[in-house]
Amino acid sequence: MEEHTDWNWEFFNEIVEDVEENKNILQCFACGKCVGDCPAAKVSDFNSRKIIYKVLHGDKSVLRDSDIWHCYLCERCTRVCPKENINIPLLIINLRNESFKQGYGPKYNDLRKYVEMSERFLTQGIVLEEPLGEKLPQERIDELNTICDFARIKYVFKASNEKQKIRKKKLERKK
Amino acid sequence: MNFNSLALDLSEIEKEYPENPLDYFKDKKLCLFKACLEKYFPGVRWGFQDLLEELQLKSTTCKNQSCCSGTFFQRNLITRAQFSAINERNLNEMNQQADIVFFSCNGCYNSLLRGRDFLKTPEVRVKTQEILNSVEKKVGKESYPGKYKILEDPKIKLVHDLDFLYLIRNDVLNTLKFDLRGLKVAVHYGCHYLNLSRDKKTLNSYLGSKTKLEELIELFGGVPVDYQERESCCGWGASQLLINPREALKITFNKLKSAENVGADFLLMPCPTCLYTLSKPEYRNKIEKWFDEKLEIPTIHLNELISILRGCEEERCISLTRKTPRLEEIFEIITQL
Repeated sequence: MEEHTDWNWEFFNEIVEDVEENKNILQCFACGKCVGDCPAAKVSDFNSRKIIYKVLHGDKSVLRDSDIWHCYLCERCTRVCPKENINIPLLIINLRNESFKQGYGPKYNDLRKYVEMSERFLTQGIVLEEPLGEKLPQERIDELNTICDFARIKYVFKASNEKQKIRKKKLERKK
Repeated sequence: MNFNSLALDLSEIEKEYPENPLDYFKDKKLCLFKACLEKYFPGVRWGFQDLLEELQLKSTTCKNQSCCSGTFFQRNLITRAQFSAINERNLNEMNQQADIVFFSCNGCYNSLLRGRDFLKTPEVRVKTQEILNSVEKKVGKESYPGKYKILEDPKIKLVHDLDFLYLIRNDVLNTLKFDLRGLKVAVHYGCHYLNLSRDKKTLNSYLGSKTKLEELIELFGGVPVDYQERESCCGWGASQLLINPREALKITFNKLKSAENVGADFLLMPCPTCLYTLSKPEYRNKIEKWFDEKLEIPTIHLNELISILRGCEEERCISLTRKTPRLEEIFEIITQL
């Protein structure tokens, strides 16, 4: 944990600026019910209370820690939280986003399935190899591609295409 | 604009049609949302379609519907506005052809409600409309008015298959040829059914116990069995099976083991994503390798089970080739004369 002496709103304000609902974490009084009922906490060091504490104290090490990548986004914490509007899964998604932006997060090898799924969505509109039943018309796939302009899904897809091209070239050279 | 939940109000239907809630659906246009994972479990969709047909309800699927994209939002691959735009595109297409959309998957159901929920935030709403405008400008053909607009107070309503089947349970019972013959059944609701608030109107319906699956099991002649991990996650956890597989499968292991420990003959659930996680042979093998225990409890989706009980042909209701342990055995127990 990075050093901090008291509350520090800088990081909190950044997170709230990105997703306004995050301001509700101010209501957290650290009762720990979210941790007690959390599936991730049973099998890892994931601790949503600690993550909220870090954000409220301006401790950005939370973006480097692997902790935020252990959440199951199951929304159990939202159900058991005695406060009404604290949305921990949304906070986690937001923190992961920041973490990605700063170059942290899971390694590429862990994300190869993401690449496959991204490719299928942008070329067929589904996450599996084939749909059950009819395929999505090309016109609709074009619409999805435009919606996803500038999204991380497109960069992941493009990066995989680039890697494939490099691999192909290497193979051709070997032949 | 009205951004109230699009969830079908089941309590209103019960009030309006106390004798037979099925009557409410008879003059409605029905659409089945195509969940990607139904590809692995086709009986989940076909079985439900067949049941609707027997109940003399006409249903369709929407040719222009894409994946709900919840998996991409949860993996930080698209923004909230992009997620909502994909959602609005799907809702708009379905709104053209249906009054009610059915969901066999907790994830898809949650996504469609969540996308709409995000639009309550003005900033997301503005960005979503901007994205839809750019689609119209770049590739769009407006085949009907308002195709690229955020839906204002849409007529369409969304309902989870489990909630619908429970609502019309007596009609479902009348279609069954077999019963559960006293089999012990453990239930798994799945996190995005169990913890979902977006479709609930009262605090009690959100926080109270969920028992619809247990009640259906009793109605169908089975014995619901309680177990310690009843409310726990299947282990899917959006990306957890990919980035932290050992931890994720520990959760899967705990769940299956806990159900086996109380002598459950099979595990019943209303979601193909949970079914995939809890039944995939590759995961069962890894569980055996990592936790030194072979778990053989079979897993079935509610739609598949109802089809078996209705006496549908095997390939129409359940694909036994999927190699789930002991599934065939359960099929034979139920369908023996």
